[in-house]
Amino acid sequence: MSSRKQPKGKIRPPKKPNSADAQFNDNWDRLAQAIREIHKKNASILSFEELYRNAYNMVLHKNGDKLYNGVREVITQHLEEVAVSQVVPAFPLSGASSSQTNPNGAGGANFLKVLKTVWEDHTTCMLMIRDILMYMDRVYAKTANVPLVYDLGLDLFRDTIVRSQNYPIQNHLLEVLLQQIKLERENEIIDRTNVKASIDMLLELTDASTKDTVYATDFENKFLETSSEYYRVEGQMLVGEYDAPEYMKKVDKRLNEEEQRVRHYLSQTTEPKIRNIVEEELISKHLKTVIEMENSGLIPMLRNEKMDDLGRMYKLFGRVVKGHDEMKSAISDYIRELGKAINETVTSNTTAEGGNAASGDKQTGATVAVRWVQEVLDLKDKFDKVQNLALSNDKAFQTSFNEAFEYFINKNSKSPEFISLFIDDNLKKGLKGKTEEEVDSVLDKTITLFRFIGEKDVFERYYKQHLAKRLLLGRSVSDDAERGMIGKLKVECGYQFTTKLEGMFNDMRISSDTMTDFKEYLDKSVLEKPKLDLSVTVLTSTFWPMNLSASPRCNLPPELTKACGTFQNFYLGRHSGRRLTWQSNMGTADIRGSFKARKHELNVSTYQMVILLMFNDKQDGESLSYEQIKGESDIPEADLKRNLQSLACAKYKILVKEPKGKEINPGDQFNFNNDFTAPLQRIKIQTVASKVESEGERKETREKVEEARKHQTEAAIVRIMKDRKTMEHNLLIAEVVKQLQSRFMPNPALIKKRIEALIEREYLERATGDRRVYNYLA
Amino acid sequence: HSGLSKDLSSILNDADDFNVIIQVGVKNNIKEYRAHSVILRARSAYFKSALSTDWITKKNGMILYNKPNITPTIFDILLKYIYTGELDLKEYQDEDILELLVASDELLLEELFDHVQDY
Repeated sequence: MSSRKQPKGKIRPPKKPNSADAQFNDNWDRLAQAIREIHKKNASILSFEELYRNAYNMVLHKNGDKLYNGVREVITQHLEEVAVSQVVPAFPLSGASSSQTNPNGAGGANFLKVLKTVWEDHTTCMLMIRDILMYMDRVYAKTANVPLVYDLGLDLFRDTIVRSQNYPIQNHLLEVLLQQIKLERENEIIDRTNVKASIDMLLELTDASTKDTVYATDFENKFLETSSEYYRVEGQMLVGEYDAPEYMKKVDKRLNEEEQRVRHYLSQTTEPKIRNIVEEELISKHLKTVIEMENSGLIPMLRNEKMDDLGRMYKLFGRVVKGHDEMKSAISDYIRELGKAINETVTSNTTAEGGNAASGDKQTGATVAVRWVQEVLDLKDKFDKVQNLALSNDKAFQTSFNEAFEYFINKNSKSPEFISLFIDDNLKKGLKGKTEEEVDSVLDKTITLFRFIGEKDVFERYYKQHLAKRLLLGRSVSDDAERGMIGKLKVECGYQFTTKLEGMFNDMRISSDTMTDFKEYLDKSVLEKPKLDLSVTVLTSTFWPMNLSASPRCNLPPELTKACGTFQNFYLGRHSGRRLTWQSNMGTADIRGSFKARKHELNVSTYQMVILLMFNDKQDGESLSYEQIKGESDIPEADLKRNLQSLACAKYKILVKEPKGKEINPGDQFNFNNDFTAPLQRIKIQTVASKVESEGERKETREKVEEARKHQTEAAIVRIMKDRKTMEHNLLIAEVVKQLQSRFMPNPALIKKRIEALIEREYLERATGDRRVYNYLA
Repeated sequence: HSGLSKDLSSILNDADDFNVIIQVGVKNNIKEYRAHSVILRARSAYFKSALSTDWITKKNGMILYNKPNITPTIFDILLKYIYTGELDLKEYQDEDILELLVASDELLLEELFDHVQDY
């Protein structure tokens, strides 16, 4: 600035004594004096009209630049004096700046207060100066392209006070501001008005080169740097001293404080920047440490269902990039771990009891399966609750939880069977103690587990078997519940699965109609009536899961054989061309047994009836050997053993076995137990209930599933090739996988084998040019 | 429109609620005008500053203002223009018009200045 080089004191006009100059000098002296009076707050003695006219005349007489420079000089001079007489004496004691917080805080606050006064005085004076120099602003400043006088005042204040070259005002100002903020962060009460005044001042001043505010160029970066350092240290201190919930509360508080601080006395533009710093230093840098805190981290929170803390963590960690990912993976790992533990209790249980799996022991029944499903459901409930109460039902978390459930559920190869058994259990005794709605909601939850199963076809196979048993043994409690379940499965698996199930229901209904007709037929008929009530269920072989193509071996008593013959004639008379095969392994019979104490009605399986009837011909105390029973009844060995077990080794001992024991062995002797007593008149001899399959049965089921998969895979290949006519190997594999994965995950090797089988059977051929491409042969 | 300027000129001429007394001219050619600071300040940047609380002197509740370098003839025109926005330059002599040009420049009545200059 050129005026700086002029000597201090009065402006010396050029020495060219003519009347115009003299006039100017005279006018200028009076104006300069007036400005000094304004600075002294003596404006009331001044006349606006005169001063304005004075300046007006100067500009009119082309002395605008002299006037402008003169004004600059007077203001600068004034501000220099202000710096020396007011600002510098208010400097807080240097040296004590970092150690003694309180006295220094007061010194700093006083400094800011002085600066506030100085700034307010300056702006007030500048407004008055602007008033009297309005003509200069409008006419001279515009054409000379210099700042308006008020802006000139701001620039002079910036350069003479705030960024003074002569005094370390800037250093003190920044230091005091940062010190005040630090004090406030450490819970001291500071006078925010003074801080705000200085900040507002910095915001009003403009940096000449960047055109940005002096706040942005001088203050903000320093503020952010010191904040970074402050929170870096605090972060390290806090993770060392506090547990996770406390840590998060502190961070929450800090974030809130910084937001409030910006709102109260900083610029809004600083808000995202300081937020980022706190988030970086207090959240990002300590994510893992907090999540993994030994007794208070994420896993303990989940274990103890600390929903508030979990919710806080979710909100807090969601602020930073990796936050939710870290939480998600930690929770998923935890779910997998818990799932693994559930799977392990089951495997240890089943292997321990594997030896006497057929004994009818309660543990080996469906209970292991039911317990496994119940535990998985409980786990699911727990995490649904977490999801709901703490994680705002975040879809990304849900997906990751689902993957974790899917993972461990499929780690248990028996899960399809277990889930089906669980449903079986609920549909069999469901209504006991549970309302229909409760059963329904349990079944709904079970369906969610079903979705996690990779091998849905295996589940379907078990479900069919269990349903068949429920229907044939009359074990199902509620038809509505059964149909409700089928409805749910229809939604999940599609109609081709449920049509067979519905077919099973249909067979049951038609059979009941058929029996009514049969009774009518007998009443009207001249035939000899059977000596027993025969009830027949006719099953359509394709709907039912068991092999119905042949009758199992069994020598039925003559009365029964005769009654069967009568029904067969009746039925085939109505439906010519059908073939009936009698499934003696599935029937039940009500028979009356006379014991010493009283008579009991026994509800037994057809096989058991056959066995018991043999004892009718025996004297009291006369025994039959295992071999005799086997030879006479011709019942298949496994079935025979199981039924003998039910009669001789279970709750109701209708037969007495020699030697005693739970297992049936060749050479065992059986006696009718004449001494049998029981409180109830009617007794149901439990046939071996639905239970977890033995290894042999499992292998058989597995083989059947594999066989079914071969067919499904071939069907899918043919379907696709029929449509596309020609297709490349990998694309075909991908398409087959896509079509089948809702039921099971076919492996490429299996698909490849099926393709080869289809080529052999001339459904497909390899393209002549490219062996990786197949053609469809119509 | 004409009704508005008519009413406004009646405020200037017959008002009893004025709060500014402006003395115009020098020596023998002095005239006192009564006016309303709210109107003057709204219409002119010059008066907005001149009549702000920072600068005024009051006597008996009246703001007193001196404007010596403008003659009553010219100030008549100015004041009428300030109140009503109306001006008919044909009514005036050339030397008055020149003086009006200078005064409107000093008082930063830019619209008026432009209008007179064009004339």
